[in-house]
Amino acid sequence: MSDHNIDWVDRLKPAAPDGATTITTERSRSNLDVDSLAQHLLGTDFLERQDRILAQIKLDPLFSKDRQANLGRPERYMLGLARSKRMRQMADRYNWSEEDYETAKYLVDDISPYQLHQTMFRQTLLEQTSPEQKKYWMDLHESWTIVGAYAQTELGHGSNVSGIELIARWDPKTKEFILHSPTLTASKWWNGSLGRTATHSIVAAQLLLPDVVDGKGETVYKSYGPHMFVTRVRDPETHKPLPGIVIGDIGPKYGYASMDNAYMLFNNFRIPHNAMLSRYSRVDPETGKYYKPENKAVLYGSMTHARKRITMAARLALARAVTVAVRYCSIRRQFHDKEARSPGGYETAVLDYPTVQIRLLPLLATSYALHYTGERMGQIYEATRSNVDGGDLSSLIDLHSLSSGLKSLVSELAANGIETCRRSMGGHGYGGGSGLVQLNADYLAKPTVEGDNWMITQQMARYLIKKVTLISCSTTNFVPSNRTESVLHEYYMTKSTDPKPLDIFSDDGNIVKAFERRAAYLSFEAHHAHHVQKRSWKSLLIQMHQLSHAQSEMILVHNFFDSLTADTTLPPATRNILWLNFRLFALCTTGKSTRDFARASAVLETQLDAIPDTIVNIMQEMRPHAVRLVDAWSIPDYLLDSALGRSDGRVYEDLFNRAHRLNPLNTLTFNPDYRTDELVKGSNDGGAILSKL
Amino acid sequence: MPSPPPDWVKALKPSGPQGSELLQQERAQSNVNVEKLSELLHTKEALERQKSLLALLEPEKVFDKSQNHSLGRVERLQRSLGKAKRLQQLAEQHKWSFEELHAANELIGEPTPYGLHASMFLVTLREQGTPEQHKLFLERAEKYEIIGCYAQTELGHGSNVRGLETTATWNSSDKTFTINSPTLTASKWWIGSLGRTANHAVVMAQLYIDGKNYGPHPFVVQVRDLETHQPLENVYVGDIGPKFGYNTMDNGFLLFNNVKVPHVNMLARFSRIDKETNHYVKPAMPSLVFGTLTWVRSNIVLQAGGVLARGVTIATRYCAVRRQFQDRDADAHAGENQVLNYKMVQIRLLPLLASMYALHFTGRGMMRLYEQNQSRMKAANSPGQDSRGAGPEELRAGANLLADLHATSCGLKALASTTAGEGLEICRRACGGHGYSSYSGIGAWYSDYLPTLTWEGDNYMLTQQVARYLLKSARAVLAGKAAGNDTSQILQTYLDRRDKGASFDVLEEDKDIVAAFAWRTAHLTFEALKHRDAEQRSWNSLLVDFWRLSTAHSQYLVVKNFYEAVSSPQLSAALDPETKGLMHSLFRLYALHTLEREAAEFFSSGAVTVRQITLTRTTAVMKLLDEIRPHAVRLVDAWAISDWQLDSSLGRYDGKVYEDLFRRASEENPVNDLVFDPYPWNSALLKNEPAKSKL
Repeated sequence: MSDHNIDWVDRLKPAAPDGATTITTERSRSNLDVDSLAQHLLGTDFLERQDRILAQIKLDPLFSKDRQANLGRPERYMLGLARSKRMRQMADRYNWSEEDYETAKYLVDDISPYQLHQTMFRQTLLEQTSPEQKKYWMDLHESWTIVGAYAQTELGHGSNVSGIELIARWDPKTKEFILHSPTLTASKWWNGSLGRTATHSIVAAQLLLPDVVDGKGETVYKSYGPHMFVTRVRDPETHKPLPGIVIGDIGPKYGYASMDNAYMLFNNFRIPHNAMLSRYSRVDPETGKYYKPENKAVLYGSMTHARKRITMAARLALARAVTVAVRYCSIRRQFHDKEARSPGGYETAVLDYPTVQIRLLPLLATSYALHYTGERMGQIYEATRSNVDGGDLSSLIDLHSLSSGLKSLVSELAANGIETCRRSMGGHGYGGGSGLVQLNADYLAKPTVEGDNWMITQQMARYLIKKVTLISCSTTNFVPSNRTESVLHEYYMTKSTDPKPLDIFSDDGNIVKAFERRAAYLSFEAHHAHHVQKRSWKSLLIQMHQLSHAQSEMILVHNFFDSLTADTTLPPATRNILWLNFRLFALCTTGKSTRDFARASAVLETQLDAIPDTIVNIMQEMRPHAVRLVDAWSIPDYLLDSALGRSDGRVYEDLFNRAHRLNPLNTLTFNPDYRTDELVKGSNDGGAILSKL
Repeated sequence: MPSPPPDWVKALKPSGPQGSELLQQERAQSNVNVEKLSELLHTKEALERQKSLLALLEPEKVFDKSQNHSLGRVERLQRSLGKAKRLQQLAEQHKWSFEELHAANELIGEPTPYGLHASMFLVTLREQGTPEQHKLFLERAEKYEIIGCYAQTELGHGSNVRGLETTATWNSSDKTFTINSPTLTASKWWIGSLGRTANHAVVMAQLYIDGKNYGPHPFVVQVRDLETHQPLENVYVGDIGPKFGYNTMDNGFLLFNNVKVPHVNMLARFSRIDKETNHYVKPAMPSLVFGTLTWVRSNIVLQAGGVLARGVTIATRYCAVRRQFQDRDADAHAGENQVLNYKMVQIRLLPLLASMYALHFTGRGMMRLYEQNQSRMKAANSPGQDSRGAGPEELRAGANLLADLHATSCGLKALASTTAGEGLEICRRACGGHGYSSYSGIGAWYSDYLPTLTWEGDNYMLTQQVARYLLKSARAVLAGKAAGNDTSQILQTYLDRRDKGASFDVLEEDKDIVAAFAWRTAHLTFEALKHRDAEQRSWNSLLVDFWRLSTAHSQYLVVKNFYEAVSSPQLSAALDPETKGLMHSLFRLYALHTLEREAAEFFSSGAVTVRQITLTRTTAVMKLLDEIRPHAVRLVDAWAISDWQLDSSLGRYDGKVYEDLFRRASEENPVNDLVFDPYPWNSALLKNEPAKSKL
């Protein structure tokens, strides 16, 4: 870089008022108690831990995020691996607890090549192994003698697990299973941590057992559906794939650059009898007989576990984007308001435009809505977990349906919300300094992984329709066993009496009731279409998707309401601001589906028409508290990695610093003349970079 | 690159039916005449041009695309400069026209560091320079002896051009301008081709004469040495760093520390400083600039159709090849169902298929209006006519077409680019997990397209201009001074019939659909006017209403243009009756799907009844999906986007989706060259190479 200019450049300041001044003014305009709210949301433990781990992370230059966006894919993976190794080493050095370790990963914010070793590989071993298997594998897992992955999805099959093509054929002579990929589409695909990292993998394959011998003396095999196996896939010394296995990384993606998602093929690869995970179902090695699981629900276990955290993670991902956008839009000024000159003759802060508020403030409210449901889901998950351990699997089915619907809605709200935040910041939102580029790209995997968002809403819809069937066929003394049943039952009992639409403006409790009524109405309607009108399931898929979202929205609204009603810890002024968030979230959600609320006779027509104006009024009330509301999420600058979202407001100084100090491109001088192939000035490279092709 | 896979892997085929067979079936079940439809969309000439360019470019190694997604930023930019140079060499060798160079660039598929030189720099010099300045700058720029860019936006100001902070102060003593950046926020920012490539810039700066500010004006400033390519003294310039997309472009920053340029460097075709008197001479014809912007926006509308078509082509072909789950109602031995047969996939893709046609025809319609207007303007500029062009504030009879066009281009630009940008992401998600792979060809295309939503006027900001225009038109109509354009007519129709009510038969009559969209726009216009004039509400408090109003108006224009195109004699002459019928179905799908999504406004304006909305949702749209479904593949084929341009495993014309995904992953993926040490205790990262220290 040419240094003779630095002097006069370094003396330049942003035009007044600078960001630091503006954001201080913003904070002084609100009486929201940030500390109490932060503790209410995250807890003292979380906040203390975040500070402590952050200090440790920041000591190591390996965790600097300054230049990572410039790296190519191979380097980006290597950086991810190096960081993962270092964090695992630090866990020992600092004696980290599991939460400490999680916090470190959250702050470093790389999708780790060790991720599947630490999640699905581990979880599957815990849940699906026999006692002997568990002891053997968990020792190897915990000592990191092996590094594991989880290979379920294939090139040809994702959502439809029962359609996978990899086979595991039992050989009674040698008492082994033979893993074999009969087609190209049978190749495992997308499996995280497996492309370059793992030594072992859980492998899902169709279990084939010898059935009969046909006329030509060939054995005919019978399929018992997908089962889980565990096997070594790479050599412990050379780390190359074992003979008979081909593995590699599937290439660059929209995000997840630091993760090695894999392809994997088997060519008659033999694994021993005990490679099949056999807590629930097994093959007798002597007789070759198959013992099936008592309850199909067990297979949902790991997937539901993966969804457990999705709402809690979604709220922080969204909160991060909202933090950046709210802070930046309170500092960014553009155009003078001709009708209301702002003090000092400055241009209007972008956040004062209703067209910006309508994009950001509902998302701010959404981050809070997700919080309370995420918290509730955690409790339900723990309760279900202990039921399952005690042998009761029925509540797992409830949880699975509930988590499917929520996963779909919540990941969609967060993914779309992050992108809305990015766009609300205009041109600078597109720049690397926004801090939302990697977040957006990484998070966008969510709507299609762990169950495609459109496919899995069928599970919620099917569940609700079953409940409607149950209730409509029941006798008068039906006793609801959970909240979903009681909402549907109540609706069933009153629907013939033509209930009056509710007044949702003067009573927050009525908002919850309106959401319940609309979800129940749609459930009965879907039930009617499928069971009475006999319309095919396929023709109703769009309606089922809408039903699932309506039910999930109801859950978000009632958890938000219940939690605020029950709260006794927050200062009243702060709690009142949260009530504004509740109303904004609920009314914006209502406003998107007014037709449904009208048809369900859930809300007064006049109020449905007045929703847009009411929303504008609530936003005006919320506006002064916006910066403090995002401050309460306590997301450190290191995690935000954003010039635009810095807590001190020094937006322009940081943007400039990143461009002129941290940008490796500026160390090269180019030769722009098209008549010569030289690219870097004076290098006489003659376009040498092209010879690498 | 990794060594090729072993023989047993090479021998594997995807499980049947093969993608190629499925696409053959798809094409066999429809008799849409793809060739005729392509010619209607693109013209024979453009299709042939594309073919010959493709034959020239595709074999050249320098244009290889296989590593685009794996390389780091620095290396990508270097390669992109290599591509730009080679294109320019070819352009010279083959004497390409502007259209040919543009088409070649489209096929390359990425912005290059020459991008802003070839567009805004040349255009600005040409349109805003005097003959003397053409000689001095334009001629050299056209020969690439100087390379330039267009430096308008700053760190602190984008949309609000009047707020720019860079200054150009006139020195009457030595007849020069001093260009200066008084603050950090005055730094030019986002300037394409400036970061590492350009040696000149057209700089927009606040002109000061004798302490008085005359607003932003364009100046030609040299920023780098022509020999060493180092920044000149007191110029600080560089690249702004990695971005969401557009990483093959060197967007730059630029600061000046009191740099002097001569009098001739202010582009002076419209306004200038008299060297002798030191007086400012006002612009003669501001509407010409106004016209360029209108042209640029009309182009964005036209291109939005093609941009979206790329995503829809990929997703439609892939969803026809991809099969997942057996149909619950089908017999147990049926194979898995093509994903494109699922209603929840159709409801996402087929309305987008209709949208890309809608945007294309709307863009065409606007370009035609623009050209008509240009010739009318030329005639009007003959002596004796009022030579001043009109702004959106004025509705004089002679200028109402331009005013109408300008306002509509603002709203349509916003609607079209939002539809295309968001549509691409819907296409990506409709491809499920594989859509997330870079080899899907959608992700990078989407991220490169996204800036279009904010440049040439931020989409939200632009909607204000539409609203302002509609309010003015409504006031004129109320005052009985309506201009003779379409906007005034729909407002007048609404006023005339308001008391009688609407009663449009949107389910049976295509022209009633157009009328219902017009009605809703007129209704929202008079509602907004009531808030503004009768209730005296502030402009700022109405911005959300204005945004809704602009969207409604633009949707009306798309529906109207689409309807006119499918009813036109040209279309009837070009297509067989069956294909023509399908164009009508696409029109209805676009219109009714939009109507259903905006049901609340249609209902509250009285344009349709609740019953009609319910029928639209449950019956009409579903029927249209069934009608269009068998033709979906041929309808995307007709856009004639080459495989090389799509650069997508999922969207290949021949349906060999899985083979291609596997080939790229195993043979074109540099990560597979490396063998790693996975254990946390070993600090070494690589097994087959010493660990590099550059991390």
